[in-house]
Amino acid sequence: MNPAAESSQVDLRGRRVLVVDDDRLNLLLLGKILQPEGYEVVQANSGESALERYAATEPDLVVLDVVMPGINGFETCREMKRRFGDTSAPVIFITAKTESEDVLEGLAAGGVDYLPKPFRPRETLARIRVHLQNRILMAQQRKLVDQLSAANTAKNRLLGMVAHDLRNPLSTMRGLSEFLRDDSRDGKLTADQGEIVESIYSTSESMLTMVNELLDTAVIESGEIKIHPKLSSLSELLETSVTLNNINAAKKGSKIVLNAAGLPGEVHMDCGKIKQVVDNLISNAIKFSPPSSLVTVEAGAQSNGCTVAVIDQGPGIPDGEHDKLFKDFSQTSVKPTAGEKSTGLGLAICRRIVEAHGGSISAQNRREGGCAFMFSLPLSA
Amino acid sequence: MKFNGKVLITDDEAHIRQFLGLVLKRLGQPVIIEARNGQEAVDAYERHHPDLVLLDVNMPVVDGVQALGRIHTLDPDALVVMLTSLTNRQTIEECARLGAVNYLRKDLPRDELIAQLQIVIDDNFDSAPPAPPPDDRAP
Repeated sequence: MNPAAESSQVDLRGRRVLVVDDDRLNLLLLGKILQPEGYEVVQANSGESALERYAATEPDLVVLDVVMPGINGFETCREMKRRFGDTSAPVIFITAKTESEDVLEGLAAGGVDYLPKPFRPRETLARIRVHLQNRILMAQQRKLVDQLSAANTAKNRLLGMVAHDLRNPLSTMRGLSEFLRDDSRDGKLTADQGEIVESIYSTSESMLTMVNELLDTAVIESGEIKIHPKLSSLSELLETSVTLNNINAAKKGSKIVLNAAGLPGEVHMDCGKIKQVVDNLISNAIKFSPPSSLVTVEAGAQSNGCTVAVIDQGPGIPDGEHDKLFKDFSQTSVKPTAGEKSTGLGLAICRRIVEAHGGSISAQNRREGGCAFMFSLPLSA
Repeated sequence: MKFNGKVLITDDEAHIRQFLGLVLKRLGQPVIIEARNGQEAVDAYERHHPDLVLLDVNMPVVDGVQALGRIHTLDPDALVVMLTSLTNRQTIEECARLGAVNYLRKDLPRDELIAQLQIVIDDNFDSAPPAPPPDDRAP
């Protein structure tokens, strides 16, 4: 829809206009111009009485003379904005003072427009109409934004509740299946039963990961991401993560190697959260590289921070899909190579965690093939 | 070290109690007592004086944090581990203040859960079997 066409249809009849002037003749004149248009006109003959009338009548727009005995128009306007807030009615100054400096002072005082005296009725009406329409549209937009943000909060709360309620039963399923896996290893189950148990285990495990990602997103989105950084060894963290992920990688015949020489002793970070980022990048690298690939984790320090890069042997990021990478629920056209699952949330969570540390995350294709995902953390938190 | 003492498992969900029971049996041959909410946990504590209490946080009737407080009022030496799927920092700090010795996530991988509980046991029990209930203790 054409917004201009829509706005010209806004009915302005019955809108209240507060007209302020110490000259009775001007008040009369403005009243005569405004009333036939259907506006309700409220009058005041000084800045002080304008403030009182404003509080009593809550007008939609104020037409304000500048030169008046008592507090002048500019001061009245400033006081109006102070008392009635940012969403108070727009103020149009009407005055014979039309030097550029006067105009600037009026706009700085919070006015939206400036009309020269003596007024030209048609121009006065047109400007009043524009500002009233703007105010109405602004109010509509504000309401819409409030509604959307309430809906988003509700969505996150629901997401959080659902994920949370799913997590317990899923972790029990995974946990119980581990006891059966032990039995299977001890030869207490048939080969078929063993396979069934394996599949219950791996399915509940991957579902648990998805649920945790949903929960992380809900928590992070509701603004509750809190990091608790302390000085810790990044190279130790990387070693642990590489060792653990190598167990999974081996199932696909892949291997992860770490090159973390040159890392500083300790970095300010939230270990749990950064480990989540590293685990995510590594498991993605395995997921999107063909079987029997080599994933390289390289870490090093620069003058202002340290960088970790996870380099895969996958197909790389397709042209034009780069901006999808770090967004919620967004997946590129590249698919995991062994049917692995993905929520499209992992990298978005990584981005938020790294940014909460004051760092940055990025990805780029490599000329020799594959893709590098890099994040950096500042040395001083 | 093997754990053959009395343990009170408190959770409102039967599947979690079942899972935790299996986990504890990996640590020895414990005597397992179950409670479904904080009130039952406090009552069971009074009756059985278990050597170890596993306490869920979110439960009906009386929640885990309240139950922890009451159990510690009954017995300041009670050994309580909180088990939860929540990681709210305030709750963690509140539980630490009320005397819980650890705060573990229920969705930890099983082997990690076993390892964490083993640490609690190694830290809190001598190699001798757990102490008898307080009423049998020498004055």
